[in-house]
Amino acid sequence: MKKLVVAKRASQAVFLSMFVYILWSTTYPLTGPVSPQLLFKADPLLVLATAVSERAAVPGIAWALAMCFLTLVAGRFFCGWMCPLGSLIDMAGAEKKDRPLSDKRNRRLRRVKYWLLACILAAAGAGIQLAWLFDPVVIFGRFVSLNLIPAITFAFDAAFSSLIRGFHLYGPVYDLYRYLKTTILGVQVRYVAHAAAVFAYILSIVIAADLLKRSWCRICCPLGALYGLIGRFTLLERSVDRCSHCGNCSSSCRMGAITKDAGYVKSECILCMDCVYDCPSKGTRFGFPLGPEAGEIGGSSVNRRQFLALGLLSLPSLLGFRVAYPGRPGSQRRRVIRPPAALEEEEFLNRCVRCGNCMKVCVTNGLQPAFLESGIGGIWTPHLVPEIGYCEYHCTLCGSVCPTGAIPRLTEEQKLKTRLGIARIDRSLCLPWIKKQECLVCEEHCPIASKAIQLRPTTVNGKALLRPYINERLCIGCGICQTKCPVRPDRAIKIYPVRVTRGIKKRQKP
Amino acid sequence: MAICSRRKFLKIVAAGIGSAAALRFFSRAGIAQAVRSSNGRKRRTITADHDLVAVKGSDPAAMTRAAVKALGGMAKFVPRGSTVVVKPNIGWDRSPETGANTNPDVVAALVEMCYEAGAKRVNVFDNTCNTAQRCYETSGIRRLAESKGARVYHTDAWNFVRAQFPYESPMEGWPVFRDAIECDTFINVPVLKHHGLTGLTLGMKNLMGVCGGSRGQIHFNIGRKLVDMADFIKPELTVIDGFRYLARNGPTGGNLADVLALGTVIASPDITLADVYAARLVGRDPNSIPYIANAIERGLGSPYYAGKDVVELSV
Repeated sequence: MKKLVVAKRASQAVFLSMFVYILWSTTYPLTGPVSPQLLFKADPLLVLATAVSERAAVPGIAWALAMCFLTLVAGRFFCGWMCPLGSLIDMAGAEKKDRPLSDKRNRRLRRVKYWLLACILAAAGAGIQLAWLFDPVVIFGRFVSLNLIPAITFAFDAAFSSLIRGFHLYGPVYDLYRYLKTTILGVQVRYVAHAAAVFAYILSIVIAADLLKRSWCRICCPLGALYGLIGRFTLLERSVDRCSHCGNCSSSCRMGAITKDAGYVKSECILCMDCVYDCPSKGTRFGFPLGPEAGEIGGSSVNRRQFLALGLLSLPSLLGFRVAYPGRPGSQRRRVIRPPAALEEEEFLNRCVRCGNCMKVCVTNGLQPAFLESGIGGIWTPHLVPEIGYCEYHCTLCGSVCPTGAIPRLTEEQKLKTRLGIARIDRSLCLPWIKKQECLVCEEHCPIASKAIQLRPTTVNGKALLRPYINERLCIGCGICQTKCPVRPDRAIKIYPVRVTRGIKKRQKP
Repeated sequence: MAICSRRKFLKIVAAGIGSAAALRFFSRAGIAQAVRSSNGRKRRTITADHDLVAVKGSDPAAMTRAAVKALGGMAKFVPRGSTVVVKPNIGWDRSPETGANTNPDVVAALVEMCYEAGAKRVNVFDNTCNTAQRCYETSGIRRLAESKGARVYHTDAWNFVRAQFPYESPMEGWPVFRDAIECDTFINVPVLKHHGLTGLTLGMKNLMGVCGGSRGQIHFNIGRKLVDMADFIKPELTVIDGFRYLARNGPTGGNLADVLALGTVIASPDITLADVYAARLVGRDPNSIPYIANAIERGLGSPYYAGKDVVELSV
């Protein structure tokens, strides 16, 4: 029995299901046992890139440091035993027999990820956080929150509803459906804009893994590169006794970490434990060798000089990112409605790791991933789409699940004063204005206690008519008026992100 | 080195097409809007002891019990083994003190009485304006009604049927929540409060909560539409919660200074009469409320309740 392999697979299964479960329970009223923030706070790449680009310690940094320390002791166990994307990739390509690549080719491939890491760190040094694009935890979290869970709830809802309607099962089956919906399935079927883009990204990673085992991890993953840099000094080591030079371990290593002479690149090893059982002479084992003479290390992935050279190579890429990001005069053209009290735009883009937590938890489904609405640098950042859902007046969930503080945690009192924008009425569309019809849905829904939308009576053709006006002093731009406005296709009342509350003001603190 | 064989490529493509087709099938099956239609409810014949009972007091549950008891008891409305809908106003993410939703004690008392009368099942729901989960929790109605054994659930978007009328109606084809029609007794439990367009939210306005679709469009010619809706649902009993009266900035409110202590619960098998009484109670001319005016115009009631058997109690 391959005990260690079984243990690894069990660990992968446990962490994968925990990951999905935690994101699944990221929903109102947020009573899950583990905060979804933790998933991303324990990721040193996200924490490092955010901290460097923001020049500030990110809250909860201790989790990331703990992961680094554990890696120093036990190597890249995260990649092989915990990483949810790694588990998915293993599932896609586990049964494959790759034709082994040459040592030279392996060396070239694995270097790419160090270059990517250097790019990310160089960008962070220049004040731009790019970890969101390549971090595996975020890629997987985004997929779970924006693709997997909406798809599963949608499929369940569609299956149950067609079953109940088609076969007239309004009795116990309908009761079961309602019970599941309020307990585990979630009440709403959620819509996610541009979900296909999120899915296409992870799908290409999985397909690549089917072509070459763990291809993403070997070639691209910057988190793996970061763990690899630490992993060079790790205490846990692989040793081979009685080597018969059969080459089994080298040709089956999913990371391409084992060289033709059965030596291995320590920083590339993810402890998958295959080589322990592939070895016909049963001489391969992992352990903590005492003394400096132990271990047989066949070449490292990158040395210091190479890493610095890769860093220099990454610098020109900054130019491109600089253009894509806002912060220069004239770049404020594309404005979207950000979540309540989100930081100033440039700071927000640097902090936001696009993990999808806020969009998953949003009770009205109004928070949606942007595509190009806020520029190239704003891809997959959250923005409010009032046509889909508004910002619920008393709700503070998005701030309480954001792992990096891009959306601050607000008290309910602070939230009620937080302005997302201001509503404006288009009098060429509004029914009481242009068609002289009764309406006032916007006024009815306005949650402000003394109504930011006010009605003034007039007389039109001898008939009394009420018309809506905005009180801009009271309006916080929650957007419920735009959501509920019956005018189609364009709503007659819209939120414009002006005079927006960004961050928590010092004096507002309780 | 061939990195992807033809067979594998075809497999990947086939899987892609297959999942897209499955998604399309499910989306058609599930998202399909209301296709069935309904001619509305048949009302049970009710012979209550009085036309209307209004109870003053300080305990909403006791007042509700007293009102229904004075009408002849819940057994007059709820036969043994029947399925009952108790339809409160749970429209807003507001706590009970703000008076924007029906008082949870009133709802719970009604649920309890229905079971005492031998109801098989009591359903409580509302098509909310704010997020349904938040409304159900914040209003306190889910917790309290469930503690009395009610089934409290959300109005699923796919479970609406289209309304059909024997006469020409602006509500023809409007989606109505199926469970509101498929029941033996419908108890309508509005809260008495201010409303910008109609002046007051009362019994007939509360029936918007069983409607789906783009409800904003009901606001045009609202009087006619709501009276047609009341005729479609034909509630056996209307219990107006006037314990707190949100007198300004309704229907959402939020400012406790706008809430007056009215301390009244009104119960009547006649929805128009209940609305007329409630409007007069807070000093409004019933004819100024569009849906009451329309009901009067169609001969479903009169702006006065003199001559009706109206009982006023206090507990």
